[in-house]
Amino acid sequence: MENIFDIVPSSNGKTKYLTTADDDAGEGARKNTLTPALRDCRREQKPNFESMACVYIPVQNSEEEVRVALDQLPRDATDILDILKAEQAPLDLWLIIAREYFKQGKVEQFRQILEEGSSPEIDEYYADVRYERIAILNALGAYFSYLGKIETKQKEKEDHFILATKYYNKASRIDMHEPSTWVGKGQLLLAKGDVDQAFSAFKIVLDGDRDNVPALLGHACVEFNRGKYSSSLEMYKRVLQIYPECPAAVRLGIGLCRYKLGQFERAKQAFERVLQLDPENVEALVALGIVDLQSNEASGIRGAMEKMQRAFDVYPYCATALNYLANHFFFTGQHFLVEQLTETALAATTHGSTRAHSYYNLARSYHSKGDYEKAGLYYMASVKEVNKPQEFILPFYGLGQVQLKLGDFKSSLSNFEKVLEVYPENCETLKAVAHIYLQLNQPTKAHEALKKAVRIDPRDPEAFLDLGELLISTDSGAALDAFKTARNLLKKANEEVSIELLNNIGVIHFERGEFELAQQTFKEALGDGIWVKLIDSEAQSDSFRKVLHQPMDASLAARMYKDMQLFHNLEKNGISVELPWDKITTLSNLARLFEQLHKTETASILYRLILFKFPEYVDAYLRLAAIAKARNNVPLSIELIRDALEVDEKNPDALCMLGDLELKNDDWVKAKDTFRAAKDASNGKDSYATLCLGNWNYFAAVRSEKRAPKLEATHLEKAKELYTKVLVERPANMYAANGAGVVLAEKGQFDIAKELFTQVQEAASGSVFVQMPDVWINLAHVHFAQGNFPLAIKMYQNCLRKFYYNTDSQILLYLARTHYEAEQWQDCKKTLLKAIHLAPSNYTLRFDTGVTLQKFSASTLQKTKRSVDEVRATVAELKNAVRLFSQLSAASNLQIHGFDEKKIETHVGYCKHLLEAAKVHCDAAELEDQQNRHRLELARQAAIREEESRLAEEQKKVKLEKRKQEDELKKVMQQEQHLERIKEHWKSSSGSKRKDRGQEDEEGGQGGERRRRKSSNKKRKRDKKTMDDDQQDYEETNYYQTDNQTNDNDNDDNDNPQDLLAAAGLEDSDADDDTGGAPSSNKGRRIQGWSESEEDEPEKRQPSSSPVRVNSAEMQLSDGE
Amino acid sequence: MKLAWLRSLETSHQDCVWACTWVPATDKSPGLLLTGSLDETVKLWNPEDLSLVRTNTGHCLGVVSVAAHPSGKIAASASMDSFVRVFDVESNNTIATLEAPPSEVWQMQFDPRGTTLAVAGGSSASVKLWDTAEWKLVATLSIPRPEGSNSKPSDKGNNKKFVLSVAWSPNGRQLACGSMDGSISVFDVQRAKFLHHLDGHTMPVRSLAYSPLDPRVLVSGSDDERIHMYDAEGKTLFSSMSGHSSWVLSVDVSPDGAAIASGSSDRTVKLWDPKMRAAVQTMTNHTDQVWGVKFEGGVRGCLLASVSDDKSISLYNYS
Repeated sequence: MENIFDIVPSSNGKTKYLTTADDDAGEGARKNTLTPALRDCRREQKPNFESMACVYIPVQNSEEEVRVALDQLPRDATDILDILKAEQAPLDLWLIIAREYFKQGKVEQFRQILEEGSSPEIDEYYADVRYERIAILNALGAYFSYLGKIETKQKEKEDHFILATKYYNKASRIDMHEPSTWVGKGQLLLAKGDVDQAFSAFKIVLDGDRDNVPALLGHACVEFNRGKYSSSLEMYKRVLQIYPECPAAVRLGIGLCRYKLGQFERAKQAFERVLQLDPENVEALVALGIVDLQSNEASGIRGAMEKMQRAFDVYPYCATALNYLANHFFFTGQHFLVEQLTETALAATTHGSTRAHSYYNLARSYHSKGDYEKAGLYYMASVKEVNKPQEFILPFYGLGQVQLKLGDFKSSLSNFEKVLEVYPENCETLKAVAHIYLQLNQPTKAHEALKKAVRIDPRDPEAFLDLGELLISTDSGAALDAFKTARNLLKKANEEVSIELLNNIGVIHFERGEFELAQQTFKEALGDGIWVKLIDSEAQSDSFRKVLHQPMDASLAARMYKDMQLFHNLEKNGISVELPWDKITTLSNLARLFEQLHKTETASILYRLILFKFPEYVDAYLRLAAIAKARNNVPLSIELIRDALEVDEKNPDALCMLGDLELKNDDWVKAKDTFRAAKDASNGKDSYATLCLGNWNYFAAVRSEKRAPKLEATHLEKAKELYTKVLVERPANMYAANGAGVVLAEKGQFDIAKELFTQVQEAASGSVFVQMPDVWINLAHVHFAQGNFPLAIKMYQNCLRKFYYNTDSQILLYLARTHYEAEQWQDCKKTLLKAIHLAPSNYTLRFDTGVTLQKFSASTLQKTKRSVDEVRATVAELKNAVRLFSQLSAASNLQIHGFDEKKIETHVGYCKHLLEAAKVHCDAAELEDQQNRHRLELARQAAIREEESRLAEEQKKVKLEKRKQEDELKKVMQQEQHLERIKEHWKSSSGSKRKDRGQEDEEGGQGGERRRRKSSNKKRKRDKKTMDDDQQDYEETNYYQTDNQTNDNDNDDNDNPQDLLAAAGLEDSDADDDTGGAPSSNKGRRIQGWSESEEDEPEKRQPSSSPVRVNSAEMQLSDGE
Repeated sequence: MKLAWLRSLETSHQDCVWACTWVPATDKSPGLLLTGSLDETVKLWNPEDLSLVRTNTGHCLGVVSVAAHPSGKIAASASMDSFVRVFDVESNNTIATLEAPPSEVWQMQFDPRGTTLAVAGGSSASVKLWDTAEWKLVATLSIPRPEGSNSKPSDKGNNKKFVLSVAWSPNGRQLACGSMDGSISVFDVQRAKFLHHLDGHTMPVRSLAYSPLDPRVLVSGSDDERIHMYDAEGKTLFSSMSGHSSWVLSVDVSPDGAAIASGSSDRTVKLWDPKMRAAVQTMTNHTDQVWGVKFEGGVRGCLLASVSDDKSISLYNYS
């Protein structure tokens, strides 16, 4: 990311040339305004002295003259002053000598002479020599104007201007109509930046003499400064007409105007003309150089640099030329020269803007060398020289960059914002600002800036890239669009599309569930390599396939995910196995995608390829471990995690996964230690580790069958605390919210829990990576606990279908339990049978089926009204129940499951008893049926008799009637036969178990029933608390043993009350009604049980999927550096 | 290598259909499709139009497995109450009722010559062999307990060897059975001897099938979503193929030995090219778990049948 900003100076170079050129032209113009003033003095003298190298001071009262060689003026001006005063030399001589001093750079002497020449004595003595006096004063005024102009300190600047004003005013007092004074005043005002007053000063002169050249020049300058270049140009042209032999400088003005007007060719001509007249005119050289640069062609730039060089040779202290040269050498990379040149420039000029340029050049040089501290200092110096950012914005930009680099985001931002004030549409700056906003955690502002950048330059792939990265977390669709635009732009420009960009596009497709597109993109990003053959079996040659798929000893197959042999085999067969490091992330993402597509074996080969080349890539171990875990290969999974921990022993993800596996192995203490280690390793910042600890506590609380209320409460409290902690840190953590909901439900606060679960459920539906069946189950549990069976059933069914392809026998058990409570016996039975079919070795399910059948039969028999069919079905189901229990009983001898034999026997006994009772019912029902039929027969006979006694003509009718009744009879007979057949069937299937029918009458059966109920009532009275517990225990055995497969043994401990229990259990639903508190706590337990087995699983997916993005981000960072 | 959907029958049973097999054609009758369901019935279908030939009742607690004798005259069905009913295909007369308590009954298969019926015995960790002449239990092929667990008799190691699936090699010499723990055990039938385990799966192996052409090639499907191809004699794993997104419930090898069909909890039927080690086709006509896929090995060209929890039967043409 940051590298973008590093490149900027070069990409911005063009702009740089431009702005500087503009600026310098302005400066040149201003300088230009000064020179005419001084030259004006010169003009007066020129005809006299041009050819002379000396002046002659006439000796008073004699014909003699003192000859003063101008190039040999004494160092001490007092000497010459003495002569001038003594001989009462004409004032023009004073001026000439002073000027000569000035020319030689002896400013002090110049001042001394002029100040002496404008002293009151002189005024007195030369009172009638007005013009010369004025000229002296004006020269002083011009001098101080100049001083004031170049002075950077405000106070001194003003002092100089005040002095200048004083001299001009004095000159005005001598002759207020003297035009040269007005011209001087105009210059002063110009220097002070008071363009309008300067204009009026020049106008006064021009009104008097419209051809006054200095005034015209001043006026031109005013116009130039006002930006009226064409009128300025007109003025200069007029000067040229009036005074064709004017110094080259005038033509310089023309050139500058033309330059400003964009007439570069003609500007060039003007500058060239200046150079013809004055081949050493530095300003013209520089200006010409700038015009050449403008051409932006290699030859032009070369020519420009030659001119700058010449200017430098002529006058090595022209700061502008120096700056340009420095600028040039910056681009040619000769930083040493840059520093030298700019340092000279700095020494040579006091002009703020030029200094700013010099500092800027220096700063930029350091910047590009990576010395950000120094670069920052010089940028800062440059910025200080700039009065208004508009004049020279580049150092602000540079300073912003350096501050960004140094991490001073706030200052950096303010500098970039200054740039934006001047160039509100500068994309680079907008991108930089966006980047800072992002760092300052203001994504909205960052987004705005980037959106603007993209709007301004819809062809800048970088801006789209940045925009995409910004949007990834908030709006993946928009991010994808941005990335795609960036990719298309790069492709259009025939530039290489970076692997990171393609990777990011792929990841977004992946996250949006567009797997096909994701796969294409990842493959495009990866390009050609060994992986192509590993992925696509069609790309494999036969020989390659042979090497790749060498048969593996089946005993080693369990450790397949650690096998690297295949790569060795490939290498042995001369196939090189290479993997460039920058492709790891994308390859790993592709492998993750294959996992999602269930091409898990391909994924495992890719992960192994990564590890083969980069054994320190922890993520690949973890994914392989996750694959192994999903296959229930816990030992291999643990081994892979240990490999990962060998690379990074404090990797919290690896530790959490390990803890999870240890839990799966029922290694509680170890698991807790591991989770703790994970939490410590991440300084408690890894919320997943905290969450795992929370889950651990929760499981610990609900784990034991024999619950210790105190311990349970402690664990629950701890779990709640940990969940809350995670939620405080990350309010959006769904898993923690789910956990919190579970604890609430555990405490019976179903409504709040329900609300929590509902929210989590809503949040979880959206990403392909977030799979939270737990929350569906928990929600269903709450509905169940609140007695809303239909909703609970729907929810369980949806969950099963949505997340488990209907394969989870545990949820089927919950579903069955709900049907049971809702007294939907057939549904309950079918559900349990499905569960057995899915989990054939789970005997608890068989037991539960038996109980269901028994309960169904019992409840049918208790009904006052029942049909024969119902009773028959009851009998059939009872037989099934007996068979189920008998089988369980037989199996228990073989220790296949952990049920108590006695308990099963009790069930068998009870079922048999019921069966007997049922037979009575059945007989009774059949008897009744027969009696009914008999009655029907009697009625029929009576009817026949009646009919017989009727009239003979009705015989036809009777016949019809008879046929009808015969049909009926036939039907009844058929039914009877069918019954007999079924009876036969019973006989064959359970002959020995059958006892004599009819021994007990109906009442007896019910009596037995009642007795049992009484006994359980008694027990309830005796010890209500234990009763409740017992009740729970019973239900537990019915339904919750499966929570932990290992609990089967624990159940054996609960045996003692079982005999009674069995009886109580037969009426468990009644009991539930009676003991209001118990069911809810039961339900609470249910909730725990489920989360126990499921909570961790989906969670695993979360950290495993998120690294995908994290990694890609990391990659980019490292790329940038 | 291609599957073409022919026809489906939506509500072939009242409830989930859990088992299917082809009854070979006889002189009197064409080849029929036999299915078993949670609705406790066994049904015979004419593949021409999927018309119902007959419904057999009498089972309790859901029919989990059906098997047909190579002669096409006899068939067997088994339900969760651990009874096997052997019946005459034509008349539906019960020939025998088999049970070997406390052993449950899961998958069954007649040997290629038709002399023996092999029944996967669930928690007994064994395969029961029944003689088809007298319907007597002739052998119990037990999976030896793993060495380590002998010391702890209470260990439920036996439970992990719970036998779910069974398959005969095409020459009838070998028999393989798959267990809950993912292991496959191979037996020498004539000597009634355990030969070796085939490891690689880590979750229940619900279905096994030998290649009809090569008695060494054994294909297995497991809850771990993989289909494995083993060299059953060389004890090596040829390939492990992933692609189903849930349990693989059923596998079968085409009569030409060139393709593998699989049915999965992910509601799909897939056709695999063992050479490419990849799925070449995915059928998505079922809407719930596909419990059975079976190629018809007969003369009729080649049909593939699939049955599902969605109560439907589907037929495809394999070519």
